[in-house]
Amino acid sequence: MSKPIEKTYNEDDIELKLPVNPAYVSAARLTASSIANRMGFNIEDIEDIKAAVSEACTYLIKRHYHSTQADGYKIVFSLLPEKLNIHLCMQTQGSDEQLLDETELGILMIQSLMDQLHYNIGEDGQLHIIMQKNIG
Amino acid sequence: MDFELTHRFNESKQQWDIRINGEIDIYNSSKLKETLSGLIEQHKADICIYCSELEYIDSTGLGALVSILKKVKQYQKNIHLVDIKPNIYKIFKITGLNKVFIIEGVDHE
Repeated sequence: MSKPIEKTYNEDDIELKLPVNPAYVSAARLTASSIANRMGFNIEDIEDIKAAVSEACTYLIKRHYHSTQADGYKIVFSLLPEKLNIHLCMQTQGSDEQLLDETELGILMIQSLMDQLHYNIGEDGQLHIIMQKNIG
Repeated sequence: MDFELTHRFNESKQQWDIRINGEIDIYNSSKLKETLSGLIEQHKADICIYCSELEYIDSTGLGALVSILKKVKQYQKNIHLVDIKPNIYKIFKITGLNKVFIIEGVDHE
């Protein structure tokens, strides 16, 4: 019996790549609520996840002027046991001060709606927003 | 999904009766701001927004409402939000805006 091919990705990850265009934030919300529903989150938690994803997309779009024009942004939904991890990233050219604004209303909302939130600029110049919601 | 807004000036109550259906987000929040701003210039009156069909509002939509509220306050008027869905009331609550707008017809707890 041959050894299975080692996967470099999690087979339950769902990736969405979106253009930096406000018209498609609703597509991110729909995807988020569909995934959360399938995972068994209750209705209130689904609404929280939907709103948090929308705010995270909006946060990136508002900072797009620091980004390279051709790139969009990516959302990875990782379906983990008893929790959903959502990772958004976008290539940027700005400095930390301009890109990380903890006083922004959207960030404060995500902090209230989700169980965990981290955001930073990676060494690769990517702006990352990572958030998590536990089931139950 | 976009939003639809219908408006009517209520002569007997001397207020704008407004109904919003759909979703408000970064895509269309500036349109909301422009529309309400235009109405308040027509009649400097209270604004009463019926929200039973409002499915979603994000931080940019809240920002639009706050900027209109500032405008109506200059004329000693107010914004009333009626029949907000529980998920949207939660957004107002976590941002503290439930204390800024007059919210009616919602089960607060």
